[in-house]
Order: sequence, then C-alpha cells, then structure tokens
Amino acid sequence: MNNKDIFCIVPAYKEEKNISRVVEELSDLDYSVVVVVDGGGDKTFEFALETKRELKNSNIYILQHLINRGQGAALQTGNDFALKKGAKFVVHFDADGQFLSSEIIKILKPILDDKCDIVFGSRFLEIKSNMPFFKKFFIMPIGRIVNKIFLGVNLSDPQNGFRAMNALALEKIKISQDGSAHCSEILGKTIQNNLRYSEIAVTVIYNDFGQGLLSGKGRGKGGLKIIRDLILGKIIN
Amino acid sequence: MLQIYIALIIIAFFLGRTFWQKKNNKISRNEAIFWISFWILAAVFMFLIKRIDAFVAGLGFSATGIDVLSYFSIAIIFYLIFKIIVRMEKIEKSVTEIIRKISLKDYK
Repeated sequence: MNNKDIFCIVPAYKEEKNISRVVEELSDLDYSVVVVVDGGGDKTFEFALETKRELKNSNIYILQHLINRGQGAALQTGNDFALKKGAKFVVHFDADGQFLSSEIIKILKPILDDKCDIVFGSRFLEIKSNMPFFKKFFIMPIGRIVNKIFLGVNLSDPQNGFRAMNALALEKIKISQDGSAHCSEILGKTIQNNLRYSEIAVTVIYNDFGQGLLSGKGRGKGGLKIIRDLILGKIIN
Repeated sequence: MLQIYIALIIIAFFLGRTFWQKKNNKISRNEAIFWISFWILAAVFMFLIKRIDAFVAGLGFSATGIDVLSYFSIAIIFYLIFKIIVRMEKIEKSVTEIIRKISLKDYK
C-alpha cells in the first residue's frame, strides 16, 4: 500500500497559527492531505495554500467553505472529496496540532489488517492526555451518557476527533450534523450500518480549552448545542 | 366590560393595519387571509368571553376564560417557534450543501 492512498482530512477554522506546521508534518509522512478551510475570515486559507506551493506537493488539496459551516460540515466536504479522488483510507485529523501525526499509522493498523472498518481515537485508554479538569470530569461523562441514550453505545471517548476509516465506512457514513454533534452521528451510523469498529489510545495535546458546556470555537460547538443538534437531527431526518 | 372595548379597539387597529398592508402589497393574499381570520377570531372570543368563562368553570378550572385563552396562545406560540427552528435547520443544511458544492468545484 502507498501512503498516498491514505487521505488525511484536516478541517481548519481560524488556524492560521498551526495550519502550515500540520500540513508539513502530514506531507513529510507522504500522506495525501485535504485541508478544508471552514470560513473564519483569517489567513488560514492563504497560509495553507502557501505551504502547498512551498512543498511542491501535488497531493495536498486545499478546499474552502466561503462561510463557516461547522466541523462536521467541513469533514463531510473532505470525505466527499477523498471519495472523488478514490481514497482507500481516510483519517480525520485536527488542524490545531492537538494530535500526533506519528500516531496515524497506529490508528489505521486495525483497518489495514482488515479487522475494522472504522477506528476511534481515545484519550482514556492507556495514554495520558493533559485534558482540562472540567472537560474530563464534566463534559466527557455527559457525552458518554448522551451517546448511551441516543445510540446505546459505550465508547470511552465519544467526542474525540481523531479517527480513521476505510472506503466502505466512507461511503456508508454521510455526516449531516454540521457542528460538533457529528462525533455522535458518526458513531450512530457506524452501528446502523453494522460496520466493524474499535478504539485505539491516542495522545491529545491541549493548547487551549477548546469546548465548554455553552461555548466553543466555530459553529455548533458547546456541549448543550451538541445535544440540541442531536435532538433536531432526529426530528428533521 | 371596559377591557373588552379596549381589546376590540386593539383588534380593530390590527385588522385595519392588515388591510392596509394587503392594499399596499406588503403581504401576500394567504398571509392576509391568515391574519384577518386570526383577528376576527380574537374579536369573536372577546364577545363570547362570558360564555368561555362559564365553559371553563364547567370544566372544573379555577382560571377565567381569558386566562385559558392566554395559556392556549402560549402553547401555540411555542409550537410556532419550534416549527421555525426546524425550518431554519433545514435552510442551514441547504446552505451547507451549496457551500460544499462550491468548495468541491473550486479546490486548489
């Protein structure tokens, strides 16, 4: 297998400080990189484009949402693009440098071994992450309860954005939740479509708080908004 | 009785305003029909307020007829807000689809 068959989808909202470093790291490992700049009004798009030109790598693709639509929407745009390009494997990777590119191969391994269709990263298995106290003991337990109620699934880290999937999962899972409720939606569609899944321990480096109960960065962020979106999603669909 | 006259004056004002808006093409025919029916119904309820009081008391409620009408109004408002939220969500999803199509076409 060629590393270029692995498409790293990087949704980026106001990440002008980190985007170049993340793209460089992924490009150095020879992965195909799909950056989806999700509005924001800063220089993220320009910096991503500049990095692509500097690296002279034709396997870096820069897409742009003209207005902010949320992380779930950006991921689905990346997924659609990867499918069009014939991706065999896709990795969702944050643009803020929270995840380690060296762990991509680890999260992909169960898929490459044909044991799973989708693998979710977890901060609660063996590796310790410096997760803020409020998030660890308040937001995450609520997330687990919500997933148990809505999906009947127990995953140790339902809101982790680091995940990998094969082409089958990519075709079956269409993200309709534009905001952060996409994490629960992906999990729900994994179960609905009888896809094989597992969890792998990953490291997460926290640069800032990220997401609280009422607030967060970008559209559809914040714990309560996630619950609201999940309820509305059930009604609309 | 004074409250009923005040209510009827307010209803007459809004009815007149609805007719004026329709005449100046500020609202559509269906909107005009909806609002005229709404205000006429409100006026009818005002005339029947004593009977509604008696009806509500007959059902065993301690509230007056006007209170019950207010409760119903609040319930209807909540329902309409809910409908608007659902409609807005659908519009948001359509916007996302349009934005996605543009981004997939114009990638660098």
